[in-house]
Parts: sequence; structure tokens; C-alpha cells
Amino acid sequence: MMMSLFLPLLLVSVLFMNSFSEVRGRKWKGEGTTQNLESIAIGRCYDYIRIVNPAVGEKNCSEIWEAFKSAFINKDPCSILPEDYELFINLSLHTIPANKSLFWENNQLLVNSFADRGRRYMSVGDTLFGFFGDFLNWCGQANSSGLDYESCPTTMECETNAVDSFWRMASITYAKHSSGEIHVLLNGSAVGGAYPQPSFFADYEIPNLQKDKISQVVIWVVDDIEGPDLDSCGIHSVKTLETRLKTLGYNVTCTDNYKSVVFLLCLDYPDNSKCALPSSAPAGQRGPISSDRGGSWNKLMFVSFVGFLFRFALV
Amino acid sequence: MPFQQSSTRARQRTVLLVGIVLLLAALVLAVVLASLLTHGKHEDSPKMLKWKDRGTTKNLQEVILGRCYNYITERYPELGDKDCLKIWESLKDAFIYKNPCNITAEDYQPLMDLASHHIPCNKSLFWSKTNDLVHRYTKSNQNFLTLEDTLLGYMADKISWCGDPSAPGINYESCPKRSECESNPSSVFWKMASKMFAEAACGVVQVMLNGSIEAGAFRSSSIFGSIEVFNLNPDKVSEVHIWLMHDIGGPQSESCSGHSIQRLKNILEERNFKIICEDNYRPVQLLQCVHNPDHTDCRLCTNSTAVP
Repeated sequence: MMMSLFLPLLLVSVLFMNSFSEVRGRKWKGEGTTQNLESIAIGRCYDYIRIVNPAVGEKNCSEIWEAFKSAFINKDPCSILPEDYELFINLSLHTIPANKSLFWENNQLLVNSFADRGRRYMSVGDTLFGFFGDFLNWCGQANSSGLDYESCPTTMECETNAVDSFWRMASITYAKHSSGEIHVLLNGSAVGGAYPQPSFFADYEIPNLQKDKISQVVIWVVDDIEGPDLDSCGIHSVKTLETRLKTLGYNVTCTDNYKSVVFLLCLDYPDNSKCALPSSAPAGQRGPISSDRGGSWNKLMFVSFVGFLFRFALV
Repeated sequence: MPFQQSSTRARQRTVLLVGIVLLLAALVLAVVLASLLTHGKHEDSPKMLKWKDRGTTKNLQEVILGRCYNYITERYPELGDKDCLKIWESLKDAFIYKNPCNITAEDYQPLMDLASHHIPCNKSLFWSKTNDLVHRYTKSNQNFLTLEDTLLGYMADKISWCGDPSAPGINYESCPKRSECESNPSSVFWKMASKMFAEAACGVVQVMLNGSIEAGAFRSSSIFGSIEVFNLNPDKVSEVHIWLMHDIGGPQSESCSGHSIQRLKNILEERNFKIICEDNYRPVQLLQCVHNPDHTDCRLCTNSTAVP
């Protein structure tokens, strides 16, 4: 009887293994290394020092690339630690101007636009080391000097992978070198809270802020234009964040729906009521009001016009 | 007496000889010093031409290649068939070892052919005197493409290059300004790229103009006014939408009813385009308000104070 069971069992297990082998072509579940990674990364390095931010001075981009690679090449792709990127960071580090740091969670594209490539603020993606790796993917393989272009481990498969450890190191470094008034842009519509835990900000940035170099922490909690208002200053996760920072001894301010950022979000929703401007007359033509430079007549006209719009909106 | 005379003459001759030797030595020393001091300055070639504008961007090859790969990998993967190495080579061949005042359209044709790509209809966004604003807009709103958002423009934006007949064929010290010669590598490139960008446009096209400058929002001398307007294809382009933007709190030098806009309308109507002009196109004005959130023109109605 055992023998008669044995053959079907063998058949089933062989079939099982066959279906596995289809998946086995890809070692990991995540996307592979970005094509042409070396050219892109070295190109970005030179682009940064020549065009984006020449104030950082001369850097050896080939050396920086080699240091970057040495962090994860020829190693088990699940054994990469943030410290492995120390040489890379040392070579690519530069001053972050005071008052320009912008931390964030759950709003990367918005932060990209708002920071304006380092001109308005310098987010981690606007530093040389962040610019180098932003939106790229990479990993190596044990016993091989090549990059794995087929697949890379996801965070779920192992936390100590090349990309996650890179961003941990970048976040630590960014926080350590931030000074003056620092800003944090959070998403008030994010499920899980505007201040998520765990997160890069909570676990790698806050612990590495240099208290003696920071004058104030400015928190902005902005809701998506058509999103729910799940979190705001003084409540839920934002309250947790404010308390944590105050306990650590920082001066903290918090603003809901900071206007400048709301305007930016409004680009995609110009007709939403949250985005209506005083000059929102039909067909986008200017109303009777010109730029108000004072004068009671202009103020009266403006107030009447606003009143008219309110009435119009209420109808 | 004769003995004394001969010894004096001998002494004089010696002094003369020593003087000449010293003079020669000083001359040789001066020449050696001069060549040593100027050696550093003329490392490339003492014969390279000198111009008034900034020289070729250093590491041009790495920057161009990196941008090309970045564009086709990250921004527009549909262009995966582009060969960035060939594109770089064709750009280099267009200007290397050539006199930078003799560049022609033919020099750039191979590059234009390799790097040009299809532009989706209704997405072309032209601009004049609104460089900063228009690119902040397209960065935040992917619905529109300026020339600098196409592969060619993306690679070349904010970069400079020019060649020289002497080795190494690229001039990193200086490049000609337009005022020095019109057929310089940069001007010829941008003129050709602009022409192609206009020719490729289809459907509804947009143009962002600056209504706060004194010289007028539309100028026939601009690239838009001299090249792009005349290379729009009436068989492909149905409408032209003009967005006439004023600086927040800035002068309203011109509006949609202004003189230069009228001139632009006439030119376009003559070529059978339908025109719509809008003062302060709202989405772009919202972007301007990001930088002026407290200005009266930027008061959000939901936040405005109650009527007294």
C-alpha cells in the first residue's frame, strides 16, 4: 500500500517543484537593479556638482560610484547594513544650508515639487548623496561582482537590503547635518497617521537631529485636496510627534494646511472650492480688482467681490 | 705706457664679455620662467580661440549620457529603444574640432534624428520669457511638455558646449555668445530643436507668455516668435491657447487685449489656427501663489475673513 501511494506522491511533488521552478528564475520578489545604473548614477553626480548645486565644489564622481558599489557588491543582498555606505557618504557629503532642511512622510512627489530642486528647500533627495540614488533600485549577489538585474529583495523578504540600508544611512546623515529651522511636511490624509511609526523620520531622523544646532522644528500637516482630514496638529499621531519633540527639548510649531503647500496641491484641482482665489471670475479673466496696494476704495471693492463669490458659491 | 694701455683694454674686454654672458643668462632665465608660468594656463593649446560666454560644461559626456539614460529609464520608459551612446557620439560629432562660429543645421541632423520622439497631442507647451514658471509648472503637472521635457531638451538644458579646431577639440574655457556669432553650437541647436518641437505638435497647443514685462508679451525676435509659431503644422494643430501670466503683485504691462497679443493672433489666424487667450490661467496662478501665499491676489476664499 505504501508503494502504491509512493508513486502518486512522487508525481505530485515533481509537479509542485516544476511550478516552483517558474518562480525560481527570479530569486527575489522585488524589481531588479535599474538598467544602466552606473551611467545614471555617475551622470547624476556630475550633473549635481556642475549644474544643480556647484556650491558643493569638486567631487570625484568615479570614486563616489566605486564607494557606493563596495557597500553591496559581492555580498549576500540580505546582509547590507547602513554602515556599509559610510565611505560613500564621506565622499559625497556636503553642507546643508541652515533653515533649508525639509523632512517628510507619505508625500514624496509633493516634497519634490515644493523643494524646487534645492532652491526653496533642500530635502534629502536634493543633497548629492540623496540625488544619487533617488527613484533607483539596486542589489548585488554573493560570490559575484555583478549587479542583479533580474530581481532584488523587498523589505518584507529582508530589511537589511541594499536600498533600504542606503536610505537609512542617508536619513541618518541628513538629520545629523541639518541645522537652524527645520521643517517637516506630513500628510494629514494618510491612513496610519500623518506621523507614521515605524518610519524613516521616526526611527532614523529624529534620533539623529543635533539639538544644539536646531533652533526650531516647524511641522506642516497638509491634507490631500480631495482626501479626508484624518490627522491634524494637536491630535492623534501628530500630537505624539509634538510631545516627543518637546520632550526632547525642541521648540515646536505646527500648522494645518500650510497655504503654500495647499496651492501646490491645488494645481491638480483648480476648480475645487478649497482652491478658489479672489480672482476666480468666469473664464479665468481678472475681475475688477487689481493688485491691492492699500486704499479703502480697493478694500471695499475686494470685500464686495468676496461677498459676491460667497453668495455665488452658496447658491 | 703701452703696457698699461694693453692691460686696461684686456680688463675692458673681460668686463664686456662678462656683461654679455650675464645678459644672455638673464635672457635665458626669463624665457624659462615665462614658459613655466604660462604652461599651466595654456595646457590645452595656446591656439584655442577665446570667447565671451562660459565654456563647455565639464564632464559633458557623463552628464549627457546620465541624463539620456535617466530620461529613458525613469521618465519615459516607452523610449527604451533609444541608444544613448550613439546619441552622445552624434552630439559630439556635431561640434568637436569645428570652428564654433561655423555650425550648421546639417551638423546636428544625425542627433536630431536619433533623439527625437513622438509628442502626445494636446500636450505641447511653448513659452517665452517665463522660463522659471513654466518649468516649475511642468514639473508639478505632467499633463504638459515643454521642449525641455523632451529627450533633446532634457539632455541639453542649462548645459553649454563648443568645439575648437585645435586639440582636444572641445573648448572648456569659453564659448561664443550670440552677439559674437549667430551660427554657434548652442544657438543652432536650440533653433533646430525648437523647430522640430513645433513641427511635432498636434491637437491643442499651449503657450505661456509674460504679461509683466515692458517690452511686450509676444516678441517677433524670440525663438517662439521667430521659429516656433511658423513651424506649427495647420494640418496637425487645431487650436492655440495663450496663457498670459502676470507676476503676483507685478505690473500688468499687457493683457489678452494688448498690442503684441493682437499681433500674435493675426499671425496665427492667417495660418488658420483658432486662438483662445486667457489672462492668468488659474492652475499656473496657483503655482505663483506658492511663493506669495499672503498676497491679496492669493487669498483662498475659504480662508478669507468674514465681510465686516
